[in-house]
Amino acid sequence: MKRVTILLLLLWNVSLFAQAQQRLSLSGKVVDSGGNPITGATLSLEGQDQQVSSQTDGTFSLSYETGNTLRVTSVGYMPFRMMLTGQTVFTVVLQHASEALDEVVVVGYGTQRKGEITSSIASVKSEDFTKGAVKDAGQLIQGKVAGLRISTPSGDPGESSQINLRGLNSINGSQNPLVIVDGVPGDLNTVSPEDIESIDVLKDGSAAAIYGTRATAGVILVTTRRNTATENRTTIEYNGYTNMQTLFRKPEMMEASDYRRLIATGVPYEDLGSETNWIDEVTRSPLSHNHNVTLFGGNSRTNFTGSVNYRDWEGIFLNSAQERLNVRTNLNHDMFEGKLKTNVQLISRNEKSNNGGSSPYMWRQAIIRNPTDRIYNDSGKWQERDAYFYDNPLGMIHESIADRVFRETRLSGSLDYRPIDGLSLKMLAARVQSNDLFGNATSFDHVNTTKNNMNGTASRDTRSSVDNLMELTANYTKTFSDHKLDALVGYSWQDNTYEQFYAYNYDFPTDDYTYNKLEAGTAIQRGLAEMTSYKENRKLAGFFARVAYNYKEKYMAMASIRREGSSTFGENYKWGNFPAISVGWDIAKEDFMAGVKPINQLKLRAGFGVTGTIASAAYMSQTSYNFERTQGAYINGKWVPGFVPTRNFNPDLRWERKHEYNVGLDFSVFDNRVHGSLDYYNRDVKDLLYQFNVPSPPYLYSSMMLNAGEMRNRGFEALVHVDAFRNGDFKWKTGFTVATNKNELINLSNDQFNVTVPFFDAGYTGEPIQTSTHRVEVGRSVGDFYVLKTVGVDENGKWLVENNAGEVIPIGESSQDDRQYYGNGIPDVNLGWNNSFNYKNIDFSFSFRGSFGHQVLNMTRLYYENPINKAYNVLKTAYDPVYGETLTNDLVYVSHYIEDADFLKLDNVTLGYTFPAKAIKGIQNLRVYASGFNLMTITGYKGLDPEATSYQGDFTFAPGIEHRDRYPTTRSFTLGLNVTF
Amino acid sequence: MKKTYKSMPRKFARMLAGMSMCGCLLFTGCTNLEEEVFSEVLAKNFEPTERDLPSIVAPVYASFRSLMFGWQGYFDLQEESADHIITPVRPNGWDDAGTYRRMHQHNWTTIQWQPYNTWQQAYSSITKANMVMMQIEDGTLPLPEDVAATAIAELRAARALAYYLLLDNHGNVPIVTDYRDVELPEQKTRKQLYDFVVNELTEVIPSLSEEVAPMYARMNVWAAKALLAKIYLNAQVYTGEAQWANVIVQTDDIIQSGAFRLDSDYKNVFSPTNHESPEIIFSVPYDEVYGHGNQLHMKTLSPLSRLVYNMAAGPWGGNCAVPQFIDTYDVDDQRLYDSWLQGPQYHASTGELVITYQQDVPGIGGDGTIAADNAGFRLGKYAIKNGATNNLDNDYPMFRYADVLMMKAEALLRTGREHEAAVLVSDVRERAFKTTPEKATVNGVDLLKGSAYNYGWQEKDGTVNGTNGGADIPFGRFLDELGWEFTGEAHRRQDIIRFGVFQTKSWFNHRPHAKAQTRTLFPIPNDEINKNPNLDQNPGYEE
Repeated sequence: MKRVTILLLLLWNVSLFAQAQQRLSLSGKVVDSGGNPITGATLSLEGQDQQVSSQTDGTFSLSYETGNTLRVTSVGYMPFRMMLTGQTVFTVVLQHASEALDEVVVVGYGTQRKGEITSSIASVKSEDFTKGAVKDAGQLIQGKVAGLRISTPSGDPGESSQINLRGLNSINGSQNPLVIVDGVPGDLNTVSPEDIESIDVLKDGSAAAIYGTRATAGVILVTTRRNTATENRTTIEYNGYTNMQTLFRKPEMMEASDYRRLIATGVPYEDLGSETNWIDEVTRSPLSHNHNVTLFGGNSRTNFTGSVNYRDWEGIFLNSAQERLNVRTNLNHDMFEGKLKTNVQLISRNEKSNNGGSSPYMWRQAIIRNPTDRIYNDSGKWQERDAYFYDNPLGMIHESIADRVFRETRLSGSLDYRPIDGLSLKMLAARVQSNDLFGNATSFDHVNTTKNNMNGTASRDTRSSVDNLMELTANYTKTFSDHKLDALVGYSWQDNTYEQFYAYNYDFPTDDYTYNKLEAGTAIQRGLAEMTSYKENRKLAGFFARVAYNYKEKYMAMASIRREGSSTFGENYKWGNFPAISVGWDIAKEDFMAGVKPINQLKLRAGFGVTGTIASAAYMSQTSYNFERTQGAYINGKWVPGFVPTRNFNPDLRWERKHEYNVGLDFSVFDNRVHGSLDYYNRDVKDLLYQFNVPSPPYLYSSMMLNAGEMRNRGFEALVHVDAFRNGDFKWKTGFTVATNKNELINLSNDQFNVTVPFFDAGYTGEPIQTSTHRVEVGRSVGDFYVLKTVGVDENGKWLVENNAGEVIPIGESSQDDRQYYGNGIPDVNLGWNNSFNYKNIDFSFSFRGSFGHQVLNMTRLYYENPINKAYNVLKTAYDPVYGETLTNDLVYVSHYIEDADFLKLDNVTLGYTFPAKAIKGIQNLRVYASGFNLMTITGYKGLDPEATSYQGDFTFAPGIEHRDRYPTTRSFTLGLNVTF
Repeated sequence: MKKTYKSMPRKFARMLAGMSMCGCLLFTGCTNLEEEVFSEVLAKNFEPTERDLPSIVAPVYASFRSLMFGWQGYFDLQEESADHIITPVRPNGWDDAGTYRRMHQHNWTTIQWQPYNTWQQAYSSITKANMVMMQIEDGTLPLPEDVAATAIAELRAARALAYYLLLDNHGNVPIVTDYRDVELPEQKTRKQLYDFVVNELTEVIPSLSEEVAPMYARMNVWAAKALLAKIYLNAQVYTGEAQWANVIVQTDDIIQSGAFRLDSDYKNVFSPTNHESPEIIFSVPYDEVYGHGNQLHMKTLSPLSRLVYNMAAGPWGGNCAVPQFIDTYDVDDQRLYDSWLQGPQYHASTGELVITYQQDVPGIGGDGTIAADNAGFRLGKYAIKNGATNNLDNDYPMFRYADVLMMKAEALLRTGREHEAAVLVSDVRERAFKTTPEKATVNGVDLLKGSAYNYGWQEKDGTVNGTNGGADIPFGRFLDELGWEFTGEAHRRQDIIRFGVFQTKSWFNHRPHAKAQTRTLFPIPNDEINKNPNLDQNPGYEE
């Protein structure tokens, strides 16, 4: 297909020089993409009656005038159109109408043609990736896969994007999809975005079940770029860009002049005689750059792909940055007439950051600090004040050291032996070793010493991980007449060893050592230093098989099973079975549809699959004890550690299981101009792994890890691609995704304990409010806020709230029992709209993303839009009347600060220009572009960024909190260059 | 050539098969999923001996550390519900969704953390004691017979102590004595629990150690007798039937043993080295290094006070004394100054004025009232050493000799022997009035008077309205004596319940609760009722 395009482009170029208006004769041949002649194709000139048919050998001849448009059609092929500009001999290559469906899709342990797929799989190729300064693999496909919610809640250059597929599907297990990079488990940062060829997402259970126990949150298959040329090729590509950032939105805090104005009216603020805009002082205009060189070389039997990626990203906070060097080499060699294919790949990652004290907590300090205060005191030291949780943010930044070096080496190799046609025996082995080394210290000018007399603190933390993977697969593909069979069996072994060591000391004679001579501190002699070490090992073994069958690509079926065992589960429950089945029917292929030309594909799919979630930690099924200092006591005149059970024992711990039904429709109409998919899914997660509350007494601990409860997610997803203009100088491709999700907690009980607390609270406001923000209750959705509902403010400036009887009462008379559900932090609907335009050498793309039907707790307002506390700075809006009154209430968590957070974001705009081929000698291709990220948001939300809410870690059950302490998101502008030599 | 090529793949196939087999073996057998355990001690690998006994018994006592002075622990439960200590809203927080206000105003809910915390820690200790007893009995922990008998007696006494805390605070709770029994336990009445604890103690006392120093902070005979005396002292509250004579029997045993005496200096009983005090009968020991958990100074001190003590931590600035209580002290009573940090505080090295603690506190908060950083006297009873970290060394003296004397005095007073009681009270007062010894002596008539506490609602400006004072409180003067001697020792709730004040009086921003009589017990934690349907809620807290 690509070659045809190149051919056509060349012909166009030729045509520019043929201007003469004369009758010319054209002869040639009509062939298919395999070069076979097509008989009986109809050739015509648009707007004219003349019509000829191709001969049995595909040949034809006709006459035309320059400027006429040739149209060639034939049943089963996509129509061909071209303006004629002087050609005399020409070969018309017609594509099978289904060729767009011939796209190869990566599935678990193999590939399938898109037309054969019976599950819900989304595939994004590199040409459709997000362009510009992309953080990681996640951002490449942001808004491009229906049901996959990707966001970047933090502006920290070291933080990766967050990704969630089809809602929240586990309580204790990981919410992160399994990311497989070239067959080996990895993460979104394993390879640089520039190194990725395609990303395939296995969305439903029937597709993901082949990955068994790690697949509940979906599977993302990343395929790296590699030399696929079948002839000699040497290409060097350089991609580079430089990038600038500004704060996406800045909180409007009171300035020194506001303080002084209020002081004049009697408000008891303290005027410290200076003027400082703390937010401006702790931020900067960061400049980042990124360089990527990729090399392709080799011949038909041996080829090589190498890439070096260097990036130095500065963060918007002073002293925050990440430097990264990724190197990848991929070597392929064919032996024995192509019967043995070998591959070796080495990926090395090095990440380094030196962040000082630029933490989210520092951001809080910049926000609340008195704007009339000064940065330095008279002796040139940081001006500190004696208040609680109140430190000079610049002192924090400059007097702290937070260094991190992360190194990862992944080595993988495979042997693929194909003794007979259609059979492939493959062995893949990989080892991934990583080491994460941290060093932290605070100097003598840090508040740890200036306030707390600690005389310098320092720590080191090192973590190492070794992953081994071995997989044996046998794949057999056979086509006999109209039947196609594809069978796979395999075995997989994975083990991981994780080790950690941490040491902390303080009270140093000097702060010059930072963290490089921990033994110099004396806290260790006083018994006040800290030290920890830990090691664990996990093993995972699986046997799997899959059969896919299709008849004329009309009827399709797939069945698979994985039997998998994990060392983390109880003796009798180590193994689990994860079956899947799916079927498809392409109605467009039926004879009765033959006359319905506009419909190229109409494939109904249905699938069912079981996946599991692995325990989130090792040792949880063990009957074991630990010696703990916290459980120690003073016995016989000395302190001894206590020997205690590590947990309430549960040797019956087993897999969490997700049963998922998915029905879908793949369609392609109007000469494949419009194509897409619709999906509806229902996922029931059973035996949720969960820290279940158990009665105490008789149990020692009031909770234990149990399989209990059931959760459901349902949703609808649609993806529509339109090649609105695909021929001619002007091209426009547009894609639209929409996804809905509805979560319900069905129950939280267990066979052993049929009584249960039907809810648990989640989320935390932090000091000084100190209360939970969300409640997760059986029969309701995860993400529900649980809060006192405000309905007004009384004449004294106190909140009026609704009690549990629905009456309006002053907040002082309310109790915790009056809290109620109010909104939900997870969007009901997520949209993505991507557009790309080409006009001659100019390319232009933009994308919108939006989320609707959710609320966000605006913590910035919760804490800083209340004038009660004169010790901390507040938003300018804090003195605005609320319900017509000036607020005199204490800081409280009430519904007033939970806002509708629907938004539509202009996410990415890129404008590029590609220089004409060979315009510069020695350069095959040259493109320059400018791109902007996070440009504009249409929203009623009053906070900094409605999308800057985390839904991982502590926020798994408390989604929809825009935290006051965070690394604010940014808007970025990029200038870039792509060169191919 | 062709031939070679053909044979190669076959050779290779064998090689590949061989390598796969090897690979499989290398990865320790294709299906062996035994978990390797590195950072825990597997039960099956551990064969304990007598040498391990201290570490095995330790967790039974360890629970008391977080129970007593832990975050929102027993200390807060006993003091913030009573009339000595409050945690008002401060400029830096301490609203905490009204939890301290609810403690003060007796509006605690069935999900209130403070009472649940005590429940959890008490049962944690009980369950661990049951576990160790099972291990001794079934031979998992093999011990010589005499060692086993003493250990079992001590464990039963420690368990009785934990059950006493539940008896006092929650009343109607399950009694579990067998670790193996994981059936949902039945709820017992407060009376049944009282009988159980009294029987347990009575039974084990003969087997307990009489040694003092080696048994510091453990249940020996004297600790068990002090506990039994305490339970008899409150028997009327627990069962409706007073046991004054039994109080006298148990306290006399301790007094006559001569094993303990009043410390010459009141401050020594609470100092960082108070384990040396001859007055302490049973304590919950704390240590800056080994036994974390005494963070009373962190909660009470203003952040500025770190300069006064050259601290290596920044205190949080929360609780303080109820101003009305401070007014009851005789200004010559040294305990006023030994118990409460007040007035100007000076920098440890420069001597500069750092902060001046004022007696006045405008209100508990919740209505927009914010108590200034320096409002209220701070608990200074547990002396804060220079250079303190966020964990103090000071032990919590749960039972001390003065307490034994005062328990006996109360039993005497309530049985018409007020003059004998006055002798004991005067003994205890003596060290508090070293400069004005004439004030140390009280007589029996004094003890029959009412309380000096000006009970009533305190307005923001400090005036007390709706005063009903303390004159009408039977033996009110004796209650005051308990207050002055034991303030800040987590006694107060129990004492004012016994004297009827808890249910009837107003103080600071507290008025008698609408269901005051039911507030003398905390609710059964809602979470536990949800988990165990055998549990019924205590009266007054039902939905």
